[in-house]
Amino acid sequence: MSPNEITEEELLQRVARGDSRAFDELYDRLSPRLYGLLRQMLHDERDAQDVLQDGFVQLWDHASSYDPSRAKAFTWAVMIFRNKAIDRMRALGRRTRLVEAASLEHATLGDGDSLPGADEDVQTRERAEIVRSALQQLPSEQRKLVELAFLKGLTHHTISETLDMPLGTVKTNIRRGLMRLRELLKGGRDGGAI
Amino acid sequence: MEERFEELAALSAFGMLEGDEKRTLDGVIIRDRALKELCAELEDTAALLAGAVSPIAPPANLKGRIRTKIRSRRSGGATYSSGGSGFWTFTGWAAAAAFAASSAWLWMEREKLQTNLQASTAEISVEVEKAQKAATEQRESLEKQIGTLNGEIASLQKRDALAQMRIATLQTTVEGYKQGVAVVVWDSEKHQGVLKLEKMPPVQVGKDYQLWVVDPKQPVPVDAGIVRVDSTGFAKVDFKPVTEVTDASKFALSVEKEGGVPKGEGPIVLIGP
Repeated sequence: MSPNEITEEELLQRVARGDSRAFDELYDRLSPRLYGLLRQMLHDERDAQDVLQDGFVQLWDHASSYDPSRAKAFTWAVMIFRNKAIDRMRALGRRTRLVEAASLEHATLGDGDSLPGADEDVQTRERAEIVRSALQQLPSEQRKLVELAFLKGLTHHTISETLDMPLGTVKTNIRRGLMRLRELLKGGRDGGAI
Repeated sequence: MEERFEELAALSAFGMLEGDEKRTLDGVIIRDRALKELCAELEDTAALLAGAVSPIAPPANLKGRIRTKIRSRRSGGATYSSGGSGFWTFTGWAAAAAFAASSAWLWMEREKLQTNLQASTAEISVEVEKAQKAATEQRESLEKQIGTLNGEIASLQKRDALAQMRIATLQTTVEGYKQGVAVVVWDSEKHQGVLKLEKMPPVQVGKDYQLWVVDPKQPVPVDAGIVRVDSTGFAKVDFKPVTEVTDASKFALSVEKEGGVPKGEGPIVLIGP
């Protein structure tokens, strides 16, 4: 079996057994997507690199707690790195600034324009297109709230206060948006596109 | 599935839940498999959003920095094996690795236990609250039933008591006793009664009034005791026949020798009903 045929889930399980070569392979596969996410979240190259480093160290440390029956490897990794990014924002006190209207306005996913240094293969590009297309099918308010929740790690209470929007509306839109995305992305996932 | 649980699942997928909301979701997930699956799917969906972001190649030296950092650490996580590549081989680190692995394992176990404890506590609280509510409702229902039953019992007792009671007025044809009033209240259940006399003339010296109960099943009237009236001719006595009476058809009052006789000898002055 060539490295490309090994799934990310298998690689992560090998990492749990201390396999450094599997770690290398997993890093190569995940790091561009995760680094892109961190850059989008933190808006700072240096911070994004620090979080990426800390995240992979944690991934190495806690790979044994990964349960393939509960989540895909990428899902599991995104949760680790996203949480670290949110911690970073809080530690830097940037959250206060990020909730400023101007910053929130720019908290969008999937504008389709690759940043400098983009490293997209065909599969990654297709995958991104499917997610972006699904996002575009959401009503604008739902899309905005989903993006805010995902990229900024703000609580529904904070979003409500910041956008001066009723808490119930925030929660309802996030629920409807995410449920709709689940339906839209399910087909692609089942078909192996994602 | 209830919308509020869907909402909690969606917010949880973004790590937005805090405090009570998180405890509520953790508690329900334990019992609700469908909700648990929904949470997993929504987490998966949320993670897929990362795929919409354009990937960017991290600096080439970053992987090396990560390796160095892992290698330089003395505890936490698994130990790099050769993995077939040979790099990051740590010879002589077996003890430290074992300690590190144990520490990591213990840390994870602690996290799991804390999570389980929180979930269990939430579930127990919900169950205790339910049980308390059910017990209160049951107690109130029982108290209501008991109240109703007590009312019915009292009513039945009253009705039964009245049914068992028989009131008889004794009459006379004997001159000198026509002013007298004699009433008997007879309890057929307890086989005893009360006699009340008014305006009865006094008996001669060496004589007493004596009460008799006439039972058709008995060959002769049954002795129910002597009755002594006061100076106004009044008396009220509880009586119980010397032998059991099953059918008190009549009551009679006679004048007998002082102290009474086992079998009637004197004149009957009152009888009834």
